[in-house]
Amino acid sequence: MDQHFLNGMHDGPQEFRPQPWYNPDGDCIIYQVSDEAFVAHRIDDMLTIYRSLTGDRIIGFQIKGVHAILKKSGWEGLSVSSEIGSGRVKSVSIAAMLLAAYEEKPFTMGRRRGYASAMQSPEYSCDIPLAEFQPA
Amino acid sequence: MSDFYCKTVNPKDPADAAIDAIFPHDLTLHYYKYLPVRYENLRAAKFVLENVDVIFSGVREYNDGGWCYCGHPPQWYVRPGKIEDFPQDMVFTVYMNPNYRIYECRAEFSANDDPKRPLDWQNRYGGVVWTNIS
Repeated sequence: MDQHFLNGMHDGPQEFRPQPWYNPDGDCIIYQVSDEAFVAHRIDDMLTIYRSLTGDRIIGFQIKGVHAILKKSGWEGLSVSSEIGSGRVKSVSIAAMLLAAYEEKPFTMGRRRGYASAMQSPEYSCDIPLAEFQPA
Repeated sequence: MSDFYCKTVNPKDPADAAIDAIFPHDLTLHYYKYLPVRYENLRAAKFVLENVDVIFSGVREYNDGGWCYCGHPPQWYVRPGKIEDFPQDMVFTVYMNPNYRIYECRAEFSANDDPKRPLDWQNRYGGVVWTNIS
């Protein structure tokens, strides 16, 4: 393939890291546990899951409308505290956010399967520090 | 820290001059550092913006505005260093917020009634803004 159009704009080491990331421009959280192409399956307005191309594995998901979820559930309902070094850090629990998103809409078998898939993806229990939730 | 600009069809008025879609620095840097295959597939996103087949409006329930650009890149990265033809039964979608900033790009299965549109396009968008008939 041709040279990447962003060649030279970024440098430094590249290392896949399975960590959730809040994207302020999309007001969404993306989380991917494997560095590979995927096909996206939209579950509802708040959740899209990423399946491997063979379809047999969930390799991540996207939670949309994050601030609407936070506004409705409140920070306290979604946050967890943890000890880091000598201080305490508050973070938003991805698992709690998935549950809050699930409760937003009428329960259907398709939604239940979709949310269950997201919660079964490896390491789903990661959190995001509260400070990262700054809207664009 | 600089964003990358890419000319594409104006979603507010497709007959008007092209707009600059923005690949935000934060996004491209995050992909570069931590999601290398996604970073490589930004090439597919740029191809779609420059060769768009269909544009949808109303992509989010909880966020106003935004568009989805759909297209079919010739190739993409499936794993680090491994390039394949882009599947015929999929479309590559690029999501842009009301400030023309890209926030998501990915493959989705095509609709049965139109291979240039993503599955369930009838129920998930506000409407079709533009279709390439050339």
